[in-house]
Amino acid sequence: MTHALTRFVLFALLWLVLMPSLLWYDLLIGLLAVLAATWVSLRLLPPTRGSIGLLALLMLMPRFVWQSVMAGWEVAWRAFHPKMPLAPGFITYPTALEPGLARNTFTTLTSLLPGSLPCEHTRDGIVYHVLDIHQAHLEQLAREEQRLADVLPTARHTP
Amino acid sequence: MSLLLNLWTILAVSLGVFFFLAGTLGLLRFPDVFTRLHALTKADNLGLGLVVLGLLPQMNSIHAMLKLLLIWLLVLFSGAIVSQMLAQAARSGEIDS
Repeated sequence: MTHALTRFVLFALLWLVLMPSLLWYDLLIGLLAVLAATWVSLRLLPPTRGSIGLLALLMLMPRFVWQSVMAGWEVAWRAFHPKMPLAPGFITYPTALEPGLARNTFTTLTSLLPGSLPCEHTRDGIVYHVLDIHQAHLEQLAREEQRLADVLPTARHTP
Repeated sequence: MSLLLNLWTILAVSLGVFFFLAGTLGLLRFPDVFTRLHALTKADNLGLGLVVLGLLPQMNSIHAMLKLLLIWLLVLFSGAIVSQMLAQAARSGEIDS
């Protein structure tokens, strides 16, 4: 129930940003839209154990943005370089994160890392496509996993 | 003050355009689906972010600023998710790589 309420409030705030009007008929449409959005969200993404707190996500935001800056710069450099330095390949990162929410959050966060793009979940881990196979991507991914696990204590398999 | 803000807008939007150009260049030059996905998602995310940051001081209400930031976040997250799905489709052979 609290999950539903939290989501309802967030969608309501979203509606007010999109449609900043306090006229009763605007609010009525907003209420219907927000109820529908909450219902769909609960159906498609039911609250599970180890849900991610809003605060935890906000704590990851500055890093997320910074990484997206570095990643953009890195790929821009390669695209403009006359010789186009690329050594693409696939690497498999063995993760200890639980499948589902924790792992999906990890792939989404790391999809913005410079030079790496998650493209498959296998039994051995997550397969990444990388722009330069010689870079220390596995070490970097391990650091990111540690950071995520720090704000998401239930994310990892208990050993 | 408004001169400074205008300078900021010009600087940030121009930088944003540079990254959009880089993304497009990567799309044209890079050899396969995967490397092109890198170029499009990463460079364009940053380009859009800079354009949004540059336009913020030109908005006349907090509400319009929030809307701009919301657009950026939406594109950021959908880019992050869609790129994974396309990469997955390319790897499993559903689309030609």
